[in-house]
Amino acid sequence: MQTQDNNATLRNFAALVDFSNLVNSSLDINFALSNILLTCFGKFHTTKGMTVLIDDDGLLKVSAAKGINKEIINAFPKVYAQDKDSLEKIENYIKEFNFPICMQIKSSEATKGYLILGNRLTNKPYEQEDLDFLNTLLNVGATAIENSLIVEKLKKVNRNLDGKVNQLSSLFDLSKEFSGILQTETIGKLLVYSLIGQMLVSKYSVITCSENSITFLENRFDEESLRIAFKKCDSNKFVKPVSSEEMIGELKIFSDLGVDLIVPMQIKNETKGLIILGKRKNNLQYTRSDIEFVSSVGSLAIISIENARLFKETLEKQRLEKDLETARNIQKNLLPKKIPQFSNIEIAAYNSSARMVGGDYFDIVKFDQDKILIAVADVSGKGVPAALLMANLQAFLKSICKQKLPLSEATNLMNDLVAENTTLGSFITFFWGIFDNAKNEFTYVNAGHNPPLHVYNGKIDKLKKGGMILGVLPTTVPYISDTIKLNSKDTIVLFTDGITEAMNINGEEFTDENLEGLVLKAANNSSEEILESIKLAVEEYTVGAEQSDDITCLVLKVK
Amino acid sequence: MADFNVNLRDVGNVSIIDVKGYLDAHTAPELENVFNKLLDGKQFKVVVNFNDLKYISSAGLGVFMAYVETMRENKGDIKFSNMKESVYNIFDLLGFPILYEFYKEELEAIQKFNLQGQA
Repeated sequence: MQTQDNNATLRNFAALVDFSNLVNSSLDINFALSNILLTCFGKFHTTKGMTVLIDDDGLLKVSAAKGINKEIINAFPKVYAQDKDSLEKIENYIKEFNFPICMQIKSSEATKGYLILGNRLTNKPYEQEDLDFLNTLLNVGATAIENSLIVEKLKKVNRNLDGKVNQLSSLFDLSKEFSGILQTETIGKLLVYSLIGQMLVSKYSVITCSENSITFLENRFDEESLRIAFKKCDSNKFVKPVSSEEMIGELKIFSDLGVDLIVPMQIKNETKGLIILGKRKNNLQYTRSDIEFVSSVGSLAIISIENARLFKETLEKQRLEKDLETARNIQKNLLPKKIPQFSNIEIAAYNSSARMVGGDYFDIVKFDQDKILIAVADVSGKGVPAALLMANLQAFLKSICKQKLPLSEATNLMNDLVAENTTLGSFITFFWGIFDNAKNEFTYVNAGHNPPLHVYNGKIDKLKKGGMILGVLPTTVPYISDTIKLNSKDTIVLFTDGITEAMNINGEEFTDENLEGLVLKAANNSSEEILESIKLAVEEYTVGAEQSDDITCLVLKVK
Repeated sequence: MADFNVNLRDVGNVSIIDVKGYLDAHTAPELENVFNKLLDGKQFKVVVNFNDLKYISSAGLGVFMAYVETMRENKGDIKFSNMKESVYNIFDLLGFPILYEFYKEELEAIQKFNLQGQA
């Protein structure tokens, strides 16, 4: 009897050593579980057994089973280790399916799960000695299971880490590449390659959006349908990533098109574009980490796209500025470069445009030894359109001068030409006069221009005679001219509204009164000095304000 | 600047693309050009030989995604061969093995095409 007991103990011990060696030789969890079951089968002559392990979420899950049919396995209750009724549910289960053994698998740290065994083929019950053996077996087994689980977890963590490293190197790769590209198309292409390579998708779209319109950079969805979808649902509304389960209500139209993820590309919290992705080819959902990756790539791309756009805009602007500079030079050449001087009269002139080019015009043309034409005009509007019309006016004036017509007739002709050649709404206020050096007479026509000031003996006369502004209608009422006699020291000041309407920082105008007062006070000075004091007064008045209109001023002084 | 080289040759009715060096966002357009050339020539059976490829980024992988469907729609495919382990790991990490066929040797991939052609 004693020998028999010893033999049995020896056998048990040998079995345990065998088991221990085997189960610790591999870190594969399935191998460990399978060996626990097989060792039990051999030792107890049973044919049914399973192990239930607690997974990461605390749920009890059948992890290995032998000799048990699927229905019974599937009948294992869905229960969390933490649940109060977990033991009760397991007990009910083993009772129902007639498993005599249910033992905890316990490592030094915690319960790992349960071992469940069926009846012995010999129909003998499990003795205390068997249970002791099982206990020892599971103690050894638990360590192996724990090790395997840790290795499994490490593998998973490692793979996730590899994935992250890969995403990071992709981001790095792209940021390096994007920084050197200024073509939006190339940026779009690289963005798409990175996304579909990383996410395994074949349906995708990258769009940029401005106020009301969307532009497709890359697209493998049906463009028309997507456009319709965005008409119903404004692209600017996408301020954070939308995954397929969030595409409900008005967004459902996108999931119907096969869209699985929409990620906005933002600059300073403003959505400038969208990345639209279809289902992944490996049938996986987009994880949070995936969406983060798409977002990061998108942010990199949209900054580059924006840079490319700004670069293009800057180029365009530079070209335009160069054109304007040329136009400015051309326009400058249309104004008299040098002011001709005469024996009986001195002339000073000043012109300055509020913008690169302007709509003010003045001219001084010597007719012959005694006659000199002085003209000043203000074309409606400012900038390029005004400058073009001003150039036209200059051409008309030069050719009409050649015809040596009486001034009133010349003005009729001038008006007809301007009216014929301007579009609706453009007009010119115009004043011109001829100074006769021999007779000291000044004959003028004023076509709606700010009346020039004739200053003499401390008085001012305004030169108003003429007719309506140029360009509104063809001449029906002929213009009339007036001739005034000039005496020594008489001054005539011609100007555009840029002087009298010059604004200070409070938006108040310089006014006619101001100009008149100034001119009266300076009347005894030379034409240059009078012009200087007007310029200075306007400059002082407008300190701090932007020049709002073109400014022209001419001062004639009879010697 | 990392080097990348791509070469195209034919073995029977299968086109072989040899890729060499570093395939990343910078060099991906070169590979794209080769695929466009193949599409122009209506050549849809492609084996990419990775023997001399040292590194591939996701932009490089993306090129294969962008063309594989067209190839398959035209009874062709893109198959991969001679891949170094480090390069394969990247493909594996992103789940490519369930979508593409990988072969140790270029010849196996070509034979697979030929078998499919007979069937």
